[in-house]
This record gives sequence, structure tokens and C-alpha cells, in this order.
Amino acid sequence: MIFRAVEDADLIRQAARGSVESFNLLVSRWEKRVYNYLLRITANREDALDLTQDVFLKAYQNLRKLDDPGRFAPWLYRIAHNEAYSMFRKRRPQTDVDELEPEGTETGITIGGNSVFPIELNLAVASALDRLSPDQREAVVLKIYQGFKFEEMAEILSCPVSTVKSRLYTALELLKLELAPVKARGVS
Amino acid sequence: MTCSPFDLRDYFLRELPDQQQHQVEAHVKHCQPCREELERLRVTEAALLSLPDEEIPQRIAFVSDKIFEPAPWRRWWAAFWGSASRLGFASAAMLSAAIIIYAMHPAGRPPQPVAAVPAAVAPIVQPISDAEIQARIDAAVTRAVGQVEQRQMEKTRTLVSDLESMRQRLMVAAAAYEIDQKRYNRSRQLEANYGGPHAEEQR
Repeated sequence: MIFRAVEDADLIRQAARGSVESFNLLVSRWEKRVYNYLLRITANREDALDLTQDVFLKAYQNLRKLDDPGRFAPWLYRIAHNEAYSMFRKRRPQTDVDELEPEGTETGITIGGNSVFPIELNLAVASALDRLSPDQREAVVLKIYQGFKFEEMAEILSCPVSTVKSRLYTALELLKLELAPVKARGVS
Repeated sequence: MTCSPFDLRDYFLRELPDQQQHQVEAHVKHCQPCREELERLRVTEAALLSLPDEEIPQRIAFVSDKIFEPAPWRRWWAAFWGSASRLGFASAAMLSAAIIIYAMHPAGRPPQPVAAVPAAVAPIVQPISDAEIQARIDAAVTRAVGQVEQRQMEKTRTLVSDLESMRQRLMVAAAAYEIDQKRYNRSRQLEANYGGPHAEEQR
């Protein structure tokens, strides 16, 4: 992981000096993670793919503004978060951003009527995630699926660490109720 | 709520400093309710992680295209300056060259005593033939033409590289425009579906 971070930093420096090859390598390393992050918060494959393209385009155009290559991941996800919320706002301009919901249904991420994940296996998880607010869901995605630290999440979401923790812990409580209900004492 | 000395969720998410992490670990060994709470968090996380990541349906293409690759000489130049060892070697070579030039160049040294010129030195005048003059002129002209050509080549190379970089920027802008256009069309389509202000127009 450390070696990987060093290599990423090298690629970022080379890409900032104009090496498109280095940027391509960087894209190939991050595109799947960024796509899955966007897929989980938009709940739509097509949107997630379009947004991923946008994110890397913006990253390419603004790479010189990134002061510390070690902060590439939160910087990239900040762009992704902004792009996703900008899309939500365009779709429903009258709605408060906090109330914005992705287009997923009760059965999870769908497109053209087909579930992205096998319903038989993942219905409970998808349904539990669906019941979270968009903010709570994004906190879970960033922490559990993407493995960011609280400080990085605060940077991505542009809010204090205390807010990040509050969203995440509320979400975890709700998810626990659904996915790991308390067993009665003495009952195995 | 648990009786853990620090937040059990922070411990579970590995957000505590090492010392606090160890304290919670020690506490959990002897505390049944905290162990159960931790177990529930583990089950929840395992359930969440059962949703696998998807493969991206298509690679991000706008920067993977060959036309975005820089010219070979520019790649060589970037690679040269990107390598610390080569840069070090180049610096050492320049330093050596500077030392050698300094050692050979008389400037800056104390003036050497000039040997007395013999009194009777015959003027050295050698007759030069017309053919030799012509040859010298030809050589000078060839040299000058070569220099001009080299300058022209340098200019052409610079122009070509500038054009190449403009072309790359244009391609990136075109890709951005295409994505925006696609998104705009989709928004219009959605608007039409939801009966927005342009719905009639769409129909």
C-alpha cells in the first residue's frame, strides 16, 4: 500500500508536468473505485459512468492545482462528490440538497428494470442501504466500501469530522438493526 | 451505549490512536456486552461488504487515445528530467566540463612573462591562390547555410510541438463538450418524461 502510494505520487507529479501516459495509468488505477463510489451514491450505471468520465476530465484539467500528491484520493473523491451533487441539483433544482435521493428503487440499484446486484443474495443489504438518507449512505460508502479516514471524509464532504461521525454512526445504528439484530440472551 | 473506555465504533473502524486502541482491546476481552456489540458491528460490515464492486462498463477513453500521447522527443525529454539518476549524471558531466574548461582557459590566471621577441623576425606572408580563396568562401557559405537550416529546423520543431499541444487541448475540450452535450440531452429527455417546461417542445 505504501509502495502504491509512492507510485501514485510519482505518476501525479509526471502527469502534472504533462505526461498523458502517467495520467492514463492513474486513471486505470482509480476508475473502478471512483465508478463504484458514484454508482453507490447515484444508483444508476449510466450516470455513474458519465460522472466518472467527468471526474477524470476535471482531475486532468486541475491536476496542477493539487499541492500535495499524497492527498490525491480525497481530492479526486471531492471532485466526484461535487459532480454527483451538481447532477442531483440540475435534475431537481427546487429540492434542498439534503433531501436529494438517488434514482434507485427499494430493491437497490437498478437500470432498465434489472438489478445490478443479485437480489437473492443482497436484498437485505440493498434495502437497508436504501432506507438511509443520501448523506448517511455516502458516509457508509466512503468509510466501509472506500476505506477513507474521518479527516479525509470531512475533506471530501466539506464538513466537520463531527458531522461525518454523526452521519456514519447513525447510519451504522440503522444498518445494525436491519442486518445484525440483537439476539435474545441465551438463544444461539 | 457501551462501557468501553473509548468509543467502540471508533475502535472498530480503526480510528483510535494505538494506545487507546490497545485499551479498548483489553477491555473487550473481559466485557461481554462490548464483545457482543463489536460482533454486531462485524456482522453489519460483513453484510455490507457482500455487495461486490462492479467492473466499469467501459474504460475511460478520452485520455487513453493515442492522439493524446506526447511526441516521442517530448516523452524522452520528460523522462530525462523525471529521472533523478540521469539528472545527477548530467549535473556531474556539466561540472566536470566546467572544471576542464576552467583548467584550460588562461583567463583569470596571473599573466605569464612574455618571452622576448627575436629582433629579426621575417613577416610571415604566404601567398594564397584564387582556388583556395574560393574553397574557403564555399566552406563559409556551406557552414552559414547549415546554421540557417538548423535554426529553421528548430523553429519548425517548436511549432510542431506547439501545434501538438494545442491539438491535445482541443481534443480534451471536445471530449468535455461531448459529455456535456450527452448530459444535456439526457436532462431534456428526463424533463420531457416528467412534463417539464420543454415537454411540449420535446414531444
